Amino acid sequence: MPELDTTDPGASARLDDLLGRVAQGDRQAFASVYQLASGRLFAICLHVLRDRGDAEDVLQDVFTSVWHKAAQFDRAKAAAMTWMSMMARNRAIDRLRAAPPRAMDDLSVIEGLPDGAAQPALAAERASDRERLEHCLDTLESKRRTLIRAAFLDGSSYDELARRIGSPLGSVKSWIRRGLGQLRVCLER
Amino acid sequence: MNIRDLHDDQDDGLPPSADILAGEYVLGVLEASERAEAERRIAADPGFARLVAQWEARLAPLLASLGTEAVPAHLWPRIRTGLGWPALAAAPPRAWQRTGFWQGMTALAAGVALVAVFSRRDLETAAPAAPPVAVTPAPPPAEPEQATRPVTPLLHEDGTPGWLASVDKAVGKVLMVPVPTAADAQGRAPELWLIPAGGAPRSLGLVSIDRAHTVQVPASLRNDLINGSVLAITLEPSGGAPRGVPTGPVIAKGDIANL
Repeated sequence: MPELDTTDPGASARLDDLLGRVAQGDRQAFASVYQLASGRLFAICLHVLRDRGDAEDVLQDVFTSVWHKAAQFDRAKAAAMTWMSMMARNRAIDRLRAAPPRAMDDLSVIEGLPDGAAQPALAAERASDRERLEHCLDTLESKRRTLIRAAFLDGSSYDELARRIGSPLGSVKSWIRRGLGQLRVCLER
Repeated sequence: MNIRDLHDDQDDGLPPSADILAGEYVLGVLEASERAEAERRIAADPGFARLVAQWEARLAPLLASLGTEAVPAHLWPRIRTGLGWPALAAAPPRAWQRTGFWQGMTALAAGVALVAVFSRRDLETAAPAAPPVAVTPAPPPAEPEQATRPVTPLLHEDGTPGWLASVDKAVGKVLMVPVPTAADAQGRAPELWLIPAGGAPRSLGLVSIDRAHTVQVPASLRNDLINGSVLAITLEPSGGAPRGVPTGPVIAKGDIANL
């Protein structure tokens, strides 16, 4: 099944066009959006929820909303894939928060914590969005970087992150907030 | 490093700025009640909504690292049904679908179209995760008239289709359309055999598990492309059965349909 190549601006623009047609009630365009995006959105839901049945429910919910709310999509504000990805993440996280706390991997095992040094900032010229983001994440101290990644990809809450990393909640909040601030500064550079 | 970083691991107890709160919301670290509060603020405060959109744009590229996950085939019909749409039906080809955009769909599209010709029930069980409404046979390899030729489904033991064979006796060609499946764990390759009634299997060569292609039938075997002959697929070494005799298990077979 063809999936959207997010590094191809042409493919991204086509998805934007398709979503515009979905807003006009074009079912064939909707089917095409499903073909292009469902695999990515399912991966997002599954990564957060870790349960195929739950992820399928959320994906159905997301595409139902895409059909009904496509008119709210504004390509001037975001790419179609970003718009749908964020919808999928938000629905998945809402569902996750409604469930009892879960057992998750211990983050300190995943990466050498707590004191890994930040990597020196390299001149990132003409890098793609993803390369720029990875580059800026690499400039963060490893603890902050690991927490931000785990939060975003796994949908872990502050509480869950504190358990996973074995550190006090206040420290985790402080690390993430400062990491976010540094990230913004780096990305806007 | 600023002075606050000297006290890196202490929460100063102050509420975060609107920008950091927007980042926390997008990052997904807030609890349910805090999320609901942030969502109310997004709806009511355009400035805050803009901060959220900026964070979404900043962090979204990270999601590409998750790749894609195969969506179960039953989900698309479920979504359609949930929207109150009618049951699936094959749609006529449209010009935009023949552009390069859909080149990757060739095998899948031809497969679904052929299954549709064969039987509607098979469409329900065999259609891959893609929504059949949007698929159409791309010009190569399924010429329009080819899709209407008799189709022989080569079924697995459990009755699900593994390949669909469209036999053109006149020119000695068989269009093979796989229903996409995983490769053999032992690295063996599927080989197609024509078995005339009462005769020995004759190899028609290796076939693909993920794309449609045409198999040329040797002139000497064309007269066996008839009712009563069987098309079968066995798993063979990657170079094909060494002595033209099947050595591996039969994984799919079907009687050639009326010609």
